[in-house]
Amino acid sequence: MSHSQADSNSDAVLGRAAKALSEAAGLVRGPQRIFPLVRRLAADRLATFEPRHLYSYTTTERATGDSLKLLVRWILDAQRPDGGIAAYYSLLTGYSDSYPEVTGYIVPTLYDFAHVTGDNHAAVAAERATRWLLSLQMPSGAFPAGLHGGDPQPSVFNTGQILQGLVRAYRETNRSEIRDAAVTAGNWLVRMQQSDGSWSGPGTYQGVAHTYYSMVSWALAELSAAVDDEQYGLAAERNLDWVLRHFAPSGWVDGINLRGHPNYLHFIGYVLQGVLQSAILRRREDATRAVAKSAWVLLRRFERDKFLHGAYKPDFKGNRRYACLTGNAQMSCVWLRLFQQTGDLRYLNASLKMNEMLKQLVPARGGKGIVGGVSGSYPAWGAYQPLRYISWGCKFLADALLLEQALTRQFEASACAS
Amino acid sequence: MRVVILCSSIYSETSCAMAMRLAQLGYVPTGAITLPSLDLHTVLRKVGQWGVPEVVRYAQTKVISRGRTEAQLRNPYLEQLLQHRTGSFRTLREVAAGYGFPIVTCRDQNAPESIEQIREWSPDLIVFTGGNILRKPLLQVPRLGVINVHLGLLPEIRGMSSPEWSLLNGVPVGVTVHYIDEGIDTGPILRRSEFPEAAQCSSLDDLRNRLIAFGIEKVSEVVTSLDRGTISATPQSELDEDNQYFVMHEWLQAQAERRLNEGHLAAAAVRAHG
Repeated sequence: MSHSQADSNSDAVLGRAAKALSEAAGLVRGPQRIFPLVRRLAADRLATFEPRHLYSYTTTERATGDSLKLLVRWILDAQRPDGGIAAYYSLLTGYSDSYPEVTGYIVPTLYDFAHVTGDNHAAVAAERATRWLLSLQMPSGAFPAGLHGGDPQPSVFNTGQILQGLVRAYRETNRSEIRDAAVTAGNWLVRMQQSDGSWSGPGTYQGVAHTYYSMVSWALAELSAAVDDEQYGLAAERNLDWVLRHFAPSGWVDGINLRGHPNYLHFIGYVLQGVLQSAILRRREDATRAVAKSAWVLLRRFERDKFLHGAYKPDFKGNRRYACLTGNAQMSCVWLRLFQQTGDLRYLNASLKMNEMLKQLVPARGGKGIVGGVSGSYPAWGAYQPLRYISWGCKFLADALLLEQALTRQFEASACAS
Repeated sequence: MRVVILCSSIYSETSCAMAMRLAQLGYVPTGAITLPSLDLHTVLRKVGQWGVPEVVRYAQTKVISRGRTEAQLRNPYLEQLLQHRTGSFRTLREVAAGYGFPIVTCRDQNAPESIEQIREWSPDLIVFTGGNILRKPLLQVPRLGVINVHLGLLPEIRGMSSPEWSLLNGVPVGVTVHYIDEGIDTGPILRRSEFPEAAQCSSLDDLRNRLIAFGIEKVSEVVTSLDRGTISATPQSELDEDNQYFVMHEWLQAQAERRLNEGHLAAAAVRAHG
């Protein structure tokens, strides 16, 4: 190890220690959070005594619709006065500031929920969120990285995630200012794309290319369809081709490329969701097949071990004894979409079981920030977003449950028709 | 022919019925290896699968009412197989006492002491009726191999919930007697048999119970044929991990049951195997 690597590692350790201390100090400022924290830690300690106990293929007492309401309630509670959605509720420090990236891609979830349930509150929240996002757009068309309130730096990934929300908001409202904002963001993303199809350098996390930016491709493919402009679709396909070169024969996806972090299932889920959704929109069967291979490897692991690890090493070698619940929900979304594309009921079967497991982990009681929340890790002290209920966890689980509802109803209807 | 039985519990009705049927045909087991009945993980798994009330009912039937012949069977189609002169056998211990063969309990069927015991019995054939995933050292002990009855047609439906997956995937319901190898339901096939009474089944439980009784009959036929040297095994085609199926979620089970009740049964031609 070189001196600079050693320095960089010790900086990272010191940074993490400082962050942990600062979070723990939150309890001094908010002692009312001590009881919920202790309760959650005790509950997880007891529940994880038998790690497989949550794997379930029976229907839980909590209906999918009720779980959906809890999740959306968490999201609505997390909407800040400015209209943005908080990134998380920490058991130590409470709500974070608004988080532009997640606010953007929660918008489609809120509209989906509003359409299914007729609950107008979710649609109103989506409109407020969109107004706030429009106020954040930079003259270049980019959106800023990080939590709201810091020094705004343009971010490719966050712009892509926010573009998801803008495209959906435009489809819902047909408002020209939203369309214009989406097109400006799309143009910036196309300008920032490298000739090999990746995004790297300025505007990218740690300045390097990442395969999980396939989520940006998905947003561009959505924009292409919404405004009927092929240039965005072609840019999405260029990135798709670049990402596909990182799929190994084992199904492993290389190039997540986050220095200082393990390959959390959340990021593997991002790669697979981004590629699959882009493939569906662009009718790229090669990409669908690549995702199916990776998703099948994880499906077999889940069925065999009754558990997906919170992070994986290359070729899906895993030994992390915690679950990344967001990644689990994303895998459920991927399996459901693959069922929709292929008709293979084993994908539906796995996601029904995964959803049952995740539903059991959503608190039905507790104060704001806890009730309806999805914790970063299970148990709560796992390495991914420890001791936090995270907004994107709620978003992906809500997406999975909404998709499950839609597909199971379709299946029943088609069975009746036949 | 010297036959050894592997089973998951002395309370397994399937294991009892299999031992009885083989004994009736003149193949009294040389011995049986069973797993402990009160294993914490098994109890937890069963609670997850059946729910607490059903586990309590099962325990009442098997443990609390032990020895009482009026105790109800979970699978009524095995009643006839389990009958003897003065009543019905309810545990493998009773069957073993009736026919005079030993039972050895071990924590893992692949454990060295288990393999050593089987070696002492020097079997020609092992009939698997439940327990662990078997490893190579054990599989190599019997002269002919280890056979299993799978409640689905191989190679189309490998793995768990086979009758249910057959119904949903439009594959005929049936059983396959096959040699066990190191994979899951991947060993050479001795006999594939389509189940002719599927249309008469009233529920998935009913179908599964009837298939178990049907499978026991097919195993006994295969054992007889192996003894006479009139059957050979066929390696499986389509040996692909993509053919593996997993335990079916309750919602999909309900869809499978609906297909069964509505008579949507596949009637495809069965390929000739054995």
